[in-house]
Amino acid sequence: MGKGKGKGKQRKQIILPPELPPEIADDDIEVSDEDLKFLDENKDYAGFVSRLDTHSINKQVTRVEGVNEDALEALYEKRRRKTLEHKENEKSVVQVDPVDALPVKSLDGEVYYRTFSQTAEVTENEGDIDKSVVKLTKAERRAKLKKTKKEAKKMGKELAKTEEVQPTQQEAALAEVKEDLTAEEAFEAKKRKLAELGMALLADPEANIKSLKEMLQFAKDGDHSIVKLGLLSLLAVFKDIIPGYRIRLPTEKELEMKVSKEVKKMRFYESTLLSAYKGYLQKLLALEKQPRFHHVVVRCICTLLDAVPHFNFRESLLVAVVRNIGSSDDVVRRICYSTIKSLFTSEGKHGGEATVEAVRLIADHVKVHDCQLHPDSVEVLMSLSFDDDLGKPEVQEGNNKMKNKKNKKRKNFEESNQPQGNDRKRSKQETIAKMKEEVAADYKAVSYTPDVEERKRMQSETLSAVFETYFRILRHTMQSSVASSEANGNIISDGSGAHPLLAPCLSGLGKFSHLIDMDYIGDLMNYLKRLAARGSSSDSSAQKVQNLTVSERLRCCIVAFKVMRSNLDALNVDLQEFFVQLYNLVLEYRPGRDEGEVLAEALKIMLCDDRQHDMQKAAAFIKRLATFALCFASAESMAALVTLKQLLQRNVKCRNLLENDAGGGSVSGSIAKYQPYGSDPSLSGALASVLWELNLLSKHYHPAISTLASGISSMNSAQNQVYISISPQQAFKNLLLEAESFRYNQQGCTQKSNKRKGRSIALASTLASVEPPPIDENEVSKKLRRHFILLRDIKENERLRGELDRTASALLLYEEYKKQRKPATLTNKKSKKAKTTVGM
Amino acid sequence: MRPLDEKETTAVFEKIFKFTGNNLKNIVENPSHEGPDKEPGRYCFRLHKNKVYYVSDSLVKRATNVARTKLASIGTCVGRFTHGGNFHLTIECLNLLAANAKHKVWLKPTSEMSFLYANHVLKGGLGRITESIAPGDGVVVFSMSDLPLGFGVAAKSTQDCRKLDPNAIVVLHQADIGEYLRMENQHEHIIEE
Repeated sequence: MGKGKGKGKQRKQIILPPELPPEIADDDIEVSDEDLKFLDENKDYAGFVSRLDTHSINKQVTRVEGVNEDALEALYEKRRRKTLEHKENEKSVVQVDPVDALPVKSLDGEVYYRTFSQTAEVTENEGDIDKSVVKLTKAERRAKLKKTKKEAKKMGKELAKTEEVQPTQQEAALAEVKEDLTAEEAFEAKKRKLAELGMALLADPEANIKSLKEMLQFAKDGDHSIVKLGLLSLLAVFKDIIPGYRIRLPTEKELEMKVSKEVKKMRFYESTLLSAYKGYLQKLLALEKQPRFHHVVVRCICTLLDAVPHFNFRESLLVAVVRNIGSSDDVVRRICYSTIKSLFTSEGKHGGEATVEAVRLIADHVKVHDCQLHPDSVEVLMSLSFDDDLGKPEVQEGNNKMKNKKNKKRKNFEESNQPQGNDRKRSKQETIAKMKEEVAADYKAVSYTPDVEERKRMQSETLSAVFETYFRILRHTMQSSVASSEANGNIISDGSGAHPLLAPCLSGLGKFSHLIDMDYIGDLMNYLKRLAARGSSSDSSAQKVQNLTVSERLRCCIVAFKVMRSNLDALNVDLQEFFVQLYNLVLEYRPGRDEGEVLAEALKIMLCDDRQHDMQKAAAFIKRLATFALCFASAESMAALVTLKQLLQRNVKCRNLLENDAGGGSVSGSIAKYQPYGSDPSLSGALASVLWELNLLSKHYHPAISTLASGISSMNSAQNQVYISISPQQAFKNLLLEAESFRYNQQGCTQKSNKRKGRSIALASTLASVEPPPIDENEVSKKLRRHFILLRDIKENERLRGELDRTASALLLYEEYKKQRKPATLTNKKSKKAKTTVGM
Repeated sequence: MRPLDEKETTAVFEKIFKFTGNNLKNIVENPSHEGPDKEPGRYCFRLHKNKVYYVSDSLVKRATNVARTKLASIGTCVGRFTHGGNFHLTIECLNLLAANAKHKVWLKPTSEMSFLYANHVLKGGLGRITESIAPGDGVVVFSMSDLPLGFGVAAKSTQDCRKLDPNAIVVLHQADIGEYLRMENQHEHIIEE
């Protein structure tokens, strides 16, 4: 055991503190048989060795050593690890040593039990690991079991012995430990049994298929953790042994037929597997409703669906997963979400049938729940992928066939023209062709890939379900808002809360816009138009309609444009209504509340990507964006300015806005005066105004904006410039990122503006009136925090001081009370008497 | 010269409404800055020799000085009543319609000339089209550089336009600015009358 030697070594260490002796691994220390014998004979001596606190000794040494701190820490760590190792070695020694060595430990009872149970656990864990990693042969396992049983027996004997020896005061504790031990043992035994069964099944599923039922019994256990373990281990087993095909139980007719032994065996195997699987699923579905098992069950179901989507009873699995995809529990929802997603992305596993079913189920789910679900449940549909080229190869094939036929015909024709001598040759050719056809048919039947027709059908089915869902959500959003507004107009809705599915629905529509049937587009655009118009002031004045948020309405516009663009390459449709909406939405936008990215995207898609614009409309947008850029944060105004610049570049006539004479001249159209509050961009008369905003913007605190603004205002004079254009989205993102770093530079900027103030007060004052001097929020929050901390400290101080005073006065009072106690008792009596008299 | 009676007014407004939709309000309420008055006046419709004119109030007042037989034209001619009592818009009202148009069609540069020779607008010549046009709506025709070229009646809705072949008619021709040259004589003739 090396303890005797170790002791001496440690003593030495104490004597020679500065230099650590070379570390000797425990394995290296040889233990002579004499030592062992000595130990066995004189157990009393060995006791102190086991109690020896090596750790503290080591500590002492290291403290003396006095190296720099890092090294010290590393050393500590090393030590600790070493001691741990040492302990473990001890344990293993205990297990492996002959019987005689054990009593060494039994001297102090509690230590003995603990170590033993630990060792037992260790061995078990090892066994588990072994089981999971390496498949043990049966013989080995049996040997191991025997061993553990033996040990348990031994332990029992020793337990009895020690009980006799132990004084009575420890009996209670012992009994408790024993109870725990038995419960734990039962648990362990069950666990072991489960693992054994599972291992056996995995090793040879055909032979051990019956034990599936046994395992299934565990799932009905009273102990929850055993049930969970049972479910999980069954999951692992099923995942492994379920075959790559769908089991079809033989019909009665088939059963009557005589079959070979092997087929019978196979049939039995399959039917047992299927029935066990069915039982398992039923158990899962039953347990799903109990909140205690919910997580485990959902995980099991999801893993099964993910692993074996081709197998029987997929429908019930799908139903369960779809039911949980809108769950309020984040974990459950995420699992279901990722499962369905993987189902969609790996269609090869199940040939696409599961996709169709899942989408259909989601559609029904949305229908049943009246569109009140978590957005995830519809967002899943985004991960669907549709093969656009599905129709093409088939067409080609058809063409080929046609050609072949033609060729054949021609050949036949030629051949028929030829004299009859070639008859034999022709018949030979025909037979060859027939053979080829047969082979091809066989191949088709055998190969797993479903033919194009089938895939096409499934895809169209999926698509129709997806769009049904989307349209249902859109319709529901429209109807529900109207209905609720009729019910009570006072509801102040927070958009996304009322229509949780609208956002993923819109993004899905945008993604699959190229797949929408032409016939639906009209209706879709109608819906989108009405949704985008929802909440505009003209509507809501007449009837308090539940408003959508600005972001949602912007999204509607974006989707409309995407749909139009992806479907109508040839025809350029001018979506005037949506432009009107955007024109008004720009005014309603609020930086904190609404999503700037959506606005930037809308600006890009609607204004930058559209090549042709009405002159009046473009001018109106230019004017409004300039106004917008004045009032909002740098990122938004940058996006607006970039759009403005692109509009000006495209529409040369609109550059009249840059000239310094109001009125617009002949181009201003019928409206002679600019109407800033007009809701129709083509009637705003923006051409009659001047872009004075650019002048103010060129003095913007943000350098990028000021340079861009001054660049735009000089656009007219400097002809033939080379324009570098970035999208408003990009500009928005850039500035948003920059905003963080920019805040730190702002102090310098404000100082500059102060200087400018000194030079021209009037200018600076106008500047200040338009845009309040930039405030560093971080700085302010820091100062505020400091201030409040100070305030709180003062209050705390006061409170503490008050308490101190109070306790001091209390003490004083108490002392006084003590002093006066003797006379007080007298007075008390008197007063009591007085009271009694009063009572009478 | 006289104001329109009720029947005539509905005929005129219905016709213009086809082109402008609710923007008809803008045409009627458009303030006029003609004449010496500080207050902006109004525009009104006047009938003179079967023709309907869009005139400012102040001009109407001053036109009373001219004898009815001698008055050839006043303000903007919008259209004329046929002998059958129908109202037809004429090309002179193009600017009025273009400023307030609800449905627009933009022509590709290649097909501009064809339209200016009084041909219908074919799908192939379509550069751009406003969404949500229904058949029968009044449509103002523009060049790609936003110059109003004329107007007509939609033959097909925007949705249907997608499936059409390039030779199908999208907008039926009613009037175009080519008339100013093509029918120069006729116009002079009318004025001389």
